[in-house]
Amino acid sequence: MSNLSVSNVREFNTQPEGNPLVESPLAWSYRHHPAPRGNGQHAGVVLREKALLGHLVLRGGAIALDEAVRQTLGISLPSKPNALAFDDNGERSIQWISPDEWLVIVPGGEEFALESALRKALGDAHASIVNASGGQTVLTLSGDNAREVLMKSTSYDVHPSAFPVGKGVTTVFAKATVILRRPSETHWELVVRRSFADYCYRWLLDASAEYGIDTQ
Amino acid sequence: MTQNNRIAAGGRVDRSQVLEFTFNGQRYQGLKGDTLASALLANGVNIVNRSFKYSRARGIVAAGAEEPNAVVQLGARDDTQVPNVRATQQGLYNGLVARSTNGWPNVQRDVMSWVGRLGGGFMPPGFYYKTFMAPASMWMTYEKYIRMGAGLGRAPTESDPDIYDHMHHHCDVMVIGAGPAGLAAALSAARAGARVILCDEQEEMGGSLLDSRETLDGVSASRWVEQTVKELGAMDNVTLLPRTTANGYHDHNFVTLHERRTEHLADTAREAGFPGESRARLHRVRARQVILSSGTHERPLVYANNDLPGNMLAGAISTYIRRYAVVPGNSLVLSTSNDHAYRTALDWKEAGRKVVAIVDARANPDSDLVRQARDNGIRVITGSAVIEARGGQRVTGARVCAIDLDRFVVTGKIEELECDTIASSGGYSPVIHLSSHTGTRPVWNEELLGFVPGKVKGMHAAGGVAGHYALSETLADGARAGRQAALESGFNDAQEIVLPATRARRDAPACALYQVPHEKSALRAPKQFVDLQNDVTAAGIEVATREGFESIEHVKRYTALGFGTDQGKLGNINGMAIAARCLDRSIPEVGTTVFRPNYTPVTFGAIVGRHCGELFDPERYTALHEWHVENGAEFEDVGQWKRPWYFPRMVNGKKETMHEAVARECLAVREGVGILDASTLGKIDIQGPDAREFLGRVYTNKWAKLDVGRVRYGLMCKDDGMLMDDGTTSCLGENHFLMTTTTGGAAGVLEWLELWHQTEWPELQVYFNSVTDHWATMTVTGPDARKLLSELTDLDLDKEQFKFMDWRDATVADVPARIFRISFTGELAFEINVQANYAMHVWKKLFEHGEKYNLTPYGTETMHVLRAEKGLIIVGQDTDGSVTPEDLGMQWAIGYDKPFPWIGKRALSRPDTRRQDRKQFVGLKPKDPSVVLEEGAQIVFDGKQSIPMDMKGHVTSSYYSASLKHGFALAVVMGGHERMGQTVYIPMTDGTVHEAEIVSPVFIDPKGARQHV
Repeated sequence: MSNLSVSNVREFNTQPEGNPLVESPLAWSYRHHPAPRGNGQHAGVVLREKALLGHLVLRGGAIALDEAVRQTLGISLPSKPNALAFDDNGERSIQWISPDEWLVIVPGGEEFALESALRKALGDAHASIVNASGGQTVLTLSGDNAREVLMKSTSYDVHPSAFPVGKGVTTVFAKATVILRRPSETHWELVVRRSFADYCYRWLLDASAEYGIDTQ
Repeated sequence: MTQNNRIAAGGRVDRSQVLEFTFNGQRYQGLKGDTLASALLANGVNIVNRSFKYSRARGIVAAGAEEPNAVVQLGARDDTQVPNVRATQQGLYNGLVARSTNGWPNVQRDVMSWVGRLGGGFMPPGFYYKTFMAPASMWMTYEKYIRMGAGLGRAPTESDPDIYDHMHHHCDVMVIGAGPAGLAAALSAARAGARVILCDEQEEMGGSLLDSRETLDGVSASRWVEQTVKELGAMDNVTLLPRTTANGYHDHNFVTLHERRTEHLADTAREAGFPGESRARLHRVRARQVILSSGTHERPLVYANNDLPGNMLAGAISTYIRRYAVVPGNSLVLSTSNDHAYRTALDWKEAGRKVVAIVDARANPDSDLVRQARDNGIRVITGSAVIEARGGQRVTGARVCAIDLDRFVVTGKIEELECDTIASSGGYSPVIHLSSHTGTRPVWNEELLGFVPGKVKGMHAAGGVAGHYALSETLADGARAGRQAALESGFNDAQEIVLPATRARRDAPACALYQVPHEKSALRAPKQFVDLQNDVTAAGIEVATREGFESIEHVKRYTALGFGTDQGKLGNINGMAIAARCLDRSIPEVGTTVFRPNYTPVTFGAIVGRHCGELFDPERYTALHEWHVENGAEFEDVGQWKRPWYFPRMVNGKKETMHEAVARECLAVREGVGILDASTLGKIDIQGPDAREFLGRVYTNKWAKLDVGRVRYGLMCKDDGMLMDDGTTSCLGENHFLMTTTTGGAAGVLEWLELWHQTEWPELQVYFNSVTDHWATMTVTGPDARKLLSELTDLDLDKEQFKFMDWRDATVADVPARIFRISFTGELAFEINVQANYAMHVWKKLFEHGEKYNLTPYGTETMHVLRAEKGLIIVGQDTDGSVTPEDLGMQWAIGYDKPFPWIGKRALSRPDTRRQDRKQFVGLKPKDPSVVLEEGAQIVFDGKQSIPMDMKGHVTSSYYSASLKHGFALAVVMGGHERMGQTVYIPMTDGTVHEAEIVSPVFIDPKGARQHV
């Protein structure tokens, strides 16, 4: 389950083998803040959660990390600020966060194996890999009015000319901080911290109410 | 009442839609397309308010944001009250209810007006300061009565049923004002491909074009407006915001706009047919380039009794006639210093009412409009001005006389003209307010007789505000600015646009006329108002300058010139001109006062937006929040976190008090087993070959020899040697540590580590990452903790295998867990960390197995008592940024001999931090066991000393201990470490003086035997 790697860092697989109860950060919110009824109207905003994914925070030098990431994930490390890259089937992503920091999101359960493989590939290069899978979740926003909802929520420029597909930023969202990214023409993703998830969710329901919102 | 002043045809109102409204309790009718002001004028309502200081009857003067008098209280119900709405900016809707903001008992018969009439001469500027200054203690009493007679609107007493929100925008070109210049600019920039936002504060876009007599391409100007707005509206790169006032222009082209979304339709959004939508929206725009096309405000002339209802701005009258089809009187005298105002007389005549005369201050006016007036048979009196209005509740006549502008005297015989309306125009003041917000000083233009905006980076003043008054020039200037802004935003192929053709008109120059001379001196003549809203007169300004107020800023504050919702829109230039004349200076020498945001009042709701009620501030929840709620927890705010405070139970049908619940929870931990959700503690993952070295530099104690598998408590100081945070750090691997911080300190500590790493020690190979949210932490503590946990874990919990201050990886309830044997209660304790998504599962399993041990959930209050019984500090409660580790008696946690000088070390060698009489951390045992001292209470050594007593310390934490069965406290006392056993006194505000003995802060198990089991 855990072992000391070559880099003298303790690896720890936090995923259980059985099937115990598992809850996304929004479990409470779904039960306590039902979405406003659409009264048969067209929903201008569609909100979904990509729950229980694997999140790894990579910190280190770009050259060493790029090598390791290409070996393990088959994607190049995005070197341009605020760039977001996906693998071929769009399930795994790497996002530039800061000059020495990237966020990797993979299907839930892959994170530990990836962490070990990355460490092996990194050898004794100085880097840090931190599993953040329990600490954040991904929300997707789409629909005709998704951009208006973002304009009501963040001071970042979300106009297509300033926020093309393949961009991601860490920015202010209402009174919280989120990672905001644009994986496709139609969809936006928000990576929110677990403890702020309910607040962000309630804010989104409120900001979307005038357009009609569809949640699962 | 019928709409006597409504013209049968023309205007932009919809005669098929009659709207009912109520003003001051009286029912009226208006038309769709009216403002409240135009509807009142249509109904011949003369008096709309009482003035602020003298309670004089006041009528509508203007047609836009500059209106000083028609400031009303809007709203049919108490929860929909909006104070200080300008009737000229309020669109009329069916069922609108408005009242005058001033006037008691009502505007027609106002009690205070007698004060104004009798005492008027005795109310010079500074009247209230001078009269009611003694005794000072009585001011509050005076003020109450003064306020009843004066003041503006009232705030609602019930909460607003509507919501307000915010929206952020970014654009290349922000165009403020959709008059001729703004429309041309927007068109020019938008056609070049720039992202354009065009806002306009009026109900319709078009500005002066909506009431212009001029034609564009041979058709009425309003036709061109319609076409242009339609073209702009169809473009993807253009956002049109009508009914939106640009209220603030801040640094770096950040502009705040206030959009009225439903308030022109009904009292509430629901009644307007938009339930759930915001009533008003605050737009926060970050623009590359700003085009200021805010136009001009016409300047009234300052003559005697110029505030009587029936005195109006010339341009406003044209607006009412041409745009709203309302002619606000029967017989007109126009007093002007310029050509442009002549159109008002022409409009008036075309509306079928009588023009008595145009009184022109210029000796020989001769230009197109003057000729047109004469050709229409209108009498033009030259070299003269209206020097005084006659009348009581409404103008009944005008006194006209020849004037000598250079000598500031009247020269000829006074002629009395009968009329009910006096229009005046002293020229035009560019609306420079917004540019002034940025801090730039406006520049006087002698030719224009007005201030124009100073330079602002990225701002282009265009049209009237830049001094281009002729329509052809205004349009051209707007188009130029729009193209320029597009070019500067990077749209390099921005083309010149083709502008509509205008008819050339020859205008003669205006003359400089502000205050009109009177046959009596300003002090003896009837009042000549400069600032109608604040009742500032020419005489008042004269008195102020004579009393030594020479700076215009001082004159402003002494007289109240330019205060209130008005912000000097009508009065400022006239006031400055009068001050300049009295001080024998030029206007630019006197200068302007500073205009500040907001341009017009903004409702508080719009400023707050959705950051209110349940969305006021983020509430951070742990993964176990739902369980806490379901189990009746009372919550405490710790930073933004909601932490369970205590878990009251029902005992004999009654809910426990906090005291009862905490006593029960404390005993459960001391005697059985309790559980705490400790997930909120900050957790920082530290990796890198220099992690250990880094820890040694930021903590006061030593980290060189902490083995893998071990945990150590550490103290962190700021560079001033004062404690900033504490917590445990575990060695996970030779290059891997997990630091914990206080709940409130988590973000600050991570920033602190990054700051020192990035700025001071970038050569150290180490990275920090917050894992606070990733892990959920459950503290199982008490004598039965081991028995309970052993049922659920694969780990050998034997005390020799898993010692105090050890950590191990294991599983708990089949979930991978990292367990720390650390204790904040003094009891045997295991802190179980699992990935947060599995926390609820593990927590519930612990309760399944814990039932037989009476596993008791406890909250922060019990945690506080238990740690205090052990003398364990809480940073921020027992410390306040002025406490060193030595003050806390924690010499054992300071490594003075570490090779690298850690943060705070040097500060701890200062004489002040080495003083023996510093406030030191001790325990207090009240002599009366039932006493629980007040936290924050001051401590003295002599309980009988007379006040002021020598304060020697204060209580930092104080509780009742269910285990000890007496109250106890932690405190800081001067030289406290050397005062063990001494008695101190804690005097209370009610006169009681508590006695307490200074003792060790460790009240329970000083040897630590209980946590080592």
